[in-house]
Amino acid sequence: MNRISKRQLLFFLACVAPVGKLALLPARLADKAGGDLLFPALLQFLLQAGAIFCVLLLAKRGMSFFELLKNTFGKVAACVLITVYALFLLFAALLPLLEQKLLVQTVFYDTLPSLVAFSPFFLFAVYLVSKPLASFGRMWDILAPLAAFGLAGILVLSVGSADFSALAPVGAAGGKGFFEGTMSAFAWFCDAALLLPLLGKFRYEKGLAWKGTLAYLGGGAAVLFFYAVFYGIFREIAPAQLFAFTATSKYFSGVSTLGRIDYLFIFALSLVMSFWAALPLQEAADCVLEAYGRPRGLPTLLGVGLSALYFVLSVVLDFRFTEALDVITGELVWIFPVFCLLVPLLLLLTRRRRREH
Amino acid sequence: MKTVSGDLEKTKDALKKLLPADDILSFDFRSGSGMRFCVLFADPITDKDLLGEQVIRALKSYAGAPKAEEVSAALTSPETKTEKSLDALAREVLIGNPVLLFSGMDGAVIVGTKKIFPRAVTEPPTDVALKGPREGFIEDFKVNTSLVRRRLKTGELRMETTEVGRRSNTVVVVCYLAGTARQEVVEEVKQKLKDIDIDVIPDSSYLTHFLSSRPYSLVKQVGTTEKPDIFCAKLAEGRVGLIVDGSPIALTVPYLLVEDFQSSEDYFVPSYRATFTRLLRLLALIVAIYLPAFYVAAQLFRLQLFPIKLLLTIAGSIRDIPFSPSLEMLLVLLVLEVLNEASIRMPKYVGMALSVVGALVLGETAVSAGFVSTPAIIMIAFSGIGLYAVPNLIEQTSVVRLVMLLVAGSVGTYGIILATAFMLLYLVTTENFQTPLLAPFSPVVGKDLRDSLIKYNLGSLKTRPKTLHSPNKRRLA
Repeated sequence: MNRISKRQLLFFLACVAPVGKLALLPARLADKAGGDLLFPALLQFLLQAGAIFCVLLLAKRGMSFFELLKNTFGKVAACVLITVYALFLLFAALLPLLEQKLLVQTVFYDTLPSLVAFSPFFLFAVYLVSKPLASFGRMWDILAPLAAFGLAGILVLSVGSADFSALAPVGAAGGKGFFEGTMSAFAWFCDAALLLPLLGKFRYEKGLAWKGTLAYLGGGAAVLFFYAVFYGIFREIAPAQLFAFTATSKYFSGVSTLGRIDYLFIFALSLVMSFWAALPLQEAADCVLEAYGRPRGLPTLLGVGLSALYFVLSVVLDFRFTEALDVITGELVWIFPVFCLLVPLLLLLTRRRRREH
Repeated sequence: MKTVSGDLEKTKDALKKLLPADDILSFDFRSGSGMRFCVLFADPITDKDLLGEQVIRALKSYAGAPKAEEVSAALTSPETKTEKSLDALAREVLIGNPVLLFSGMDGAVIVGTKKIFPRAVTEPPTDVALKGPREGFIEDFKVNTSLVRRRLKTGELRMETTEVGRRSNTVVVVCYLAGTARQEVVEEVKQKLKDIDIDVIPDSSYLTHFLSSRPYSLVKQVGTTEKPDIFCAKLAEGRVGLIVDGSPIALTVPYLLVEDFQSSEDYFVPSYRATFTRLLRLLALIVAIYLPAFYVAAQLFRLQLFPIKLLLTIAGSIRDIPFSPSLEMLLVLLVLEVLNEASIRMPKYVGMALSVVGALVLGETAVSAGFVSTPAIIMIAFSGIGLYAVPNLIEQTSVVRLVMLLVAGSVGTYGIILATAFMLLYLVTTENFQTPLLAPFSPVVGKDLRDSLIKYNLGSLKTRPKTLHSPNKRRLA
């Protein structure tokens, strides 16, 4: 339980990480890039794959993220940097969290429930944060097949309703659509940044960098296919379908007789998504704990503190979700490429200081 | 530590002081040479016929020296030992083994003539098999160990006996195959048994608490079986078994959750059939846990989950029900649990009547009186049947079902999803005897999946489960 295995890491990259891109992002990309939504997404996947390759190469050094920073910049600077990084993770946690909240309110209930409906998530987050990060490898063993089952099920039910000619003509959105789509999608692509705190919790094995990158691209290919199906079904009204993975399969012909059997797959994906939404919180806590020590009870205390903070934020932003989304994917979007692309690259390029004896 | 003295009367008195109960008797006699003997025994649990035959008759003609070794050799009992400590002698008397004292002794002789009241070896009620062996463990540990020994005729089978419980001195036999079981696990089991400080161990279930890494957990962490064939199969896989005197249920560690989805019969039927039934058991368990919860959540929060025709039927049935869906479901579930509890404890003929009362009077009239709806009864009945598809997990799953129902009634479907996430996280982080509970699914152990929820042919199961880290890996040549 103390280490994440190679297989678990590949499961995470191939199956768990793509799940975070199935909810709001397709509609957002359809809004910005129309039928060309695949290209910004493809570019993002390629950029992230490059960053993930860098992070996995960093794993060769056999050090944790904090040790890596300490070794490069010294202890004090490392403490400062890891705190900044933890703050970034907390910022990055906001979008999946609000996404999850909106998903719960719009998909799981016919009538808008009180905040009570979503508040149990924070109890879950407390529990999650209290667990060591490395124990999550085992969770991914369960979540990966569940995610694959969910996505495959939805694709099977919805592919028959898709008209892929909706994606033509290629390039209709022009450079502006492509650029805007790419920029706003940055907020959803934090995979490399989420991989950094896992350094030191898995052992580098020969070929891991390539395998990891390919696994991620494999998961990305499935997501792109899903986007194509999504746009093939909804065309111009795609931007209005907020939660893509819950919308595409409802036109399956069997729904009228069998009921919404697609909910089985939606529930499976939602389960995976609840872990995905809490992961940045947990990693932020882990970064802090690694830098400043891990006395007994502190992980739980930190979990309670962070969850309470995000509970308050979710209450405050309850009816300002669109504004919050616009800020995160607009004015503040530059933060994501800095931490998700530049930091891994810079860490790889910086020279190691000689270890002190 | 007080020990026996050469004075017979003094030793007898000292033992009588330690054992003042009325059912502790003594019998004095002399051998042909005039040497004085005394047998001290617990009347209800000593086989007096055997005592007369193997001890008193044998010593009538004794003319040897008053040495424990020589006296012991003169007895016709195959089970004797000598002991000097008075405490140890008293303990043996209480177990049922008489103590032989004699004048001028250097130590007393303990004779193994305990009276055994074993019931017949029958098919266990909790683990019935259509195919395969039908023998089950009984309460006597000697019979149980003999059932195991009969199946594993190898010198590698080790049975180490220890006593647990300050007052009950319950015999616990630690069984394992040397060279196959992981030595660390054997040592950990022995250490945990040694650390137990409790006065009475009435049943093996008491030990599970002490053997679990999370003793207050809802999750089972020790395997149980009533069948010697399953017990032996588990030992052969590299597990360590515990047979407890007075209990027909043997324990095995390390335990994997998947064990309870397997039945002994799976190994006596074609593998496709075994795979099908295992998957069916899993499905039944999922239905048992989630069906009532989703029914309530769908009614309260998300009607789209029902097909339209079913929705209309349900709407018609629940129209005049005075309770909320969750309360209605809770009531029906409570009635089911009460009926279940009562029917298990009642004599069989009353149990039949109870079933009629439960099914017809309560069920039928409650529906026609409009207290509960027919769909609610169907859901609970379905869930109840599903629960019994995996009988070893009934205690745990019935609680989980209730929790899910409460969560569904208050938070709806998302609550069920989160409760499932909680449960999964808890399960994947649970380990006992350095073995993850959810293996071979989490962590995935590829080869072990061949005998998990799916079952390969026997020819494909060449190695022992990797999860158990047996030093002897190969099972099939």
